[in-house]
Amino acid sequence: MSEKYSVIGKNVHRVDGTEKVTGTAKYTFDIVLPNMLYGKILRSPYTSAKIVSIDTSKAEKMEGVYAVVTAKDTIHKKQGIWRRFPELCDEEILCSTKVRYIGDPVAAVAAIDEYTAEEALNLIEVEYEPLPAVYSQLEAIKEDAPQVHDGVELNINVTRHIEWGDVDEAFKECDVIREDHFVCSSQAHMCMETHCAAASYSYDGKLTVWASTQASYYTQVLLAGMLGMREGDIRVIKPPVGGGFGGKFELDSAQFCAALLSKKICRPVRIVLTREEEFTATKRRTPIVYTSRIGAKKDGTILAKEIRGITDGGAYTGMGATALYLTGFFSSFPYKYPNYRYDGYRAYTNTEPTSAMRGFGAPQAVFVGEQQIDLIAKDLGIDPIEIRRINGMVPNYEVPGQAFIQSCGLHQCLDKIDNYIKGRGKLPANRGIGVAAYGFMSGGIFNWFDTPYAFSSAIVKLSIDGKVDLFTGACDIGQGSDTTLSMITAEELGVKLSDIRIHAADTAICPADLGAWGSRETLMNGNACKMAAADAKRQIIEFAAAKMGVNIVHDLDIRDGWIYLADRPERKVSYYDIVREAIRGRDGETIIGRGHYTPHRKGMISPAYSFGVQAVEVDVDPETGKMKLINVVTAHESGTVINPIGITGQLEGAIMMAGGYALCEDQPMDQGKILNPSLADYKVIRSLDMPKTEIIEVDTYEPEGPFGAKEAGEGLTNPTAGAIANAVRNAVGVTITSLPITPEKIFMAMQEKKAKEKKAK
Amino acid sequence: MSSYKCPVCIKVSNTPLDLARHMIGRGDKEHRDWIASKGFKYSELLTMQLSSFGGEGYRAISEVLERETKVK
Repeated sequence: MSEKYSVIGKNVHRVDGTEKVTGTAKYTFDIVLPNMLYGKILRSPYTSAKIVSIDTSKAEKMEGVYAVVTAKDTIHKKQGIWRRFPELCDEEILCSTKVRYIGDPVAAVAAIDEYTAEEALNLIEVEYEPLPAVYSQLEAIKEDAPQVHDGVELNINVTRHIEWGDVDEAFKECDVIREDHFVCSSQAHMCMETHCAAASYSYDGKLTVWASTQASYYTQVLLAGMLGMREGDIRVIKPPVGGGFGGKFELDSAQFCAALLSKKICRPVRIVLTREEEFTATKRRTPIVYTSRIGAKKDGTILAKEIRGITDGGAYTGMGATALYLTGFFSSFPYKYPNYRYDGYRAYTNTEPTSAMRGFGAPQAVFVGEQQIDLIAKDLGIDPIEIRRINGMVPNYEVPGQAFIQSCGLHQCLDKIDNYIKGRGKLPANRGIGVAAYGFMSGGIFNWFDTPYAFSSAIVKLSIDGKVDLFTGACDIGQGSDTTLSMITAEELGVKLSDIRIHAADTAICPADLGAWGSRETLMNGNACKMAAADAKRQIIEFAAAKMGVNIVHDLDIRDGWIYLADRPERKVSYYDIVREAIRGRDGETIIGRGHYTPHRKGMISPAYSFGVQAVEVDVDPETGKMKLINVVTAHESGTVINPIGITGQLEGAIMMAGGYALCEDQPMDQGKILNPSLADYKVIRSLDMPKTEIIEVDTYEPEGPFGAKEAGEGLTNPTAGAIANAVRNAVGVTITSLPITPEKIFMAMQEKKAKEKKAK
Repeated sequence: MSSYKCPVCIKVSNTPLDLARHMIGRGDKEHRDWIASKGFKYSELLTMQLSSFGGEGYRAISEVLERETKVK
């Protein structure tokens, strides 16, 4: 018992790994129910149009068609996750009078098979009256722009403001001030499993929904609101999920239409979105244009930053309001700006709605902020690592009025990356290393959903043989939370990981949890699981103490299946024997431990923050502008590491996703129509394109986290685009201020640079 | 210490500038109508905010709020 922990800190294969790699895992896509019908959704071909009429009679008469639904089958409510702010609940899902983007749903069909349902869609006659539309945020905020939602002036959907210090006075004291403009593009979530749901409404008035969701609790509550049902009459089950990345925690068209169809005919209905629908009719990363001003003293101390962001919100609010806030908050990371001001504006456009995506506005903020830090360092003649050291956040730092940072290993990360860069020595021509520093939250404190429940809850139930059933609302969407939470429970309870069986994200049997977003599960649900395990452990130890007849001055503990005196580990009894006897001794009452976690008095954003620094080395072809990623080294701190191999997986996935955002992923549009809605045309970084990656784990301990753990998911997505942009500048001397950083942009910037140099001579 | 109460909803702010941000930020019909009743055009205030640094749009309305919404 010499090692501090028995379970955590070890490389552990996922508890759901075997069923996934053997292909036996049953995703929502695989759900087949007796008498199940297959649904398809008819979507708007217009970016903006009035619905004059919908005639479904021909479709309804088609053989094999069992039901057709339109807005007239709904209770005419608009949904949104911001339940405290009704004006932000702006999405009908099935449009009644107006469509606002290509892909807006207008009707849905349930039929004997998908082909019949698809054919039936062609028989639905919708008469539209096209309306003027607007396709970018900068056009949308003009006085004469068409209004996407009636009465919303300048199409401004939400504004956000963050400010501390006296920015205007501080700028007067700066020796160097620079102002830059940046444009961040969109990105698709690119989940391997498209949005899908199977719904079964029974004659007793109960609805069961299997959904590919990041938050079964949200799905339950939002469906209840939209269907006019009680929450308790809806059971949402989350089978294994093939990726979410922020795109699956709002109510979506597959879930709603499947439920509505099933409710109409009391038969199960499954809807699986096609890949094209996934690209065009779900949600996407928020494109943002920024103007950022930063001022510093000669010694590199940054005195003030002022930034304005205008986001392309698309047709509906979704989670875009939070992305708008967080991009402003993370624009201040990871530095101690004494004076800071952010104004954010979200504009509606007639395009696919934008919302949360891995990083939640932070990757855009870091692309902007980390380039500007490098640029002002260059203006001042200061080393890029040094300026980050001068201004970087430290432990116990308070972001005025916003956040309190307890653990912070940013400076250790800077040291590690500094050593790495120095170790690389002199690089060949046209090769450069760029760095970016970042921080990210461990779950959000904001309760826009207005839940009355604890943010995370867990129940631990012990069987007579000592095996443990863990019930939690946490959603494993591929990030590995089932494994992490099982490890935390096993460690706290003192049993083996194989003793734990997790039951997650079934609203009928698991306590509520807000789901997998904002990198919250390890810290928030981890705390709930740890508390539940401790509660069960206390009950066992009470019985064991009596049974062992130990002096009450001794503390008992459980580890590796033994209950022992903490200061005399040789005095021990079998955990398994004691559990059996304890249950019998309690008149057969099951041992149940309960745990919950809600952050209180932890600032406005998150209970804890992780930090890191990434160095990216690139090689640029000066003839073509084509760039190759050579390697990516990330010094990262996430508190106590629960499962090291899990972090490696998160990092590699993050580099692939963030590298794609930086280099090739985009959703170009022509008059609101996405031009690349297929896997053939939407370019991602593939396995063969991946650079070498290395992670340097820096040791920290987060007091708020379970066993000192904190976030290790989304934060890793934040630095890559900014680091690549800085690397390109260091390689060939050009600054690329818009994403994605394509060879064309690099080539054109190099040409421009050459022309300027020639002119100067 | 003075505070400033939103004339439309329950929001209470420490400064008139904060309250101005709230009024413009909410942007729903009730808040916009109040802004209009004071002779401002909501879209013009927003345009001022969008087109320059310094919070000019907020400052314009904060002067009225300071006079009319102060509570002890």
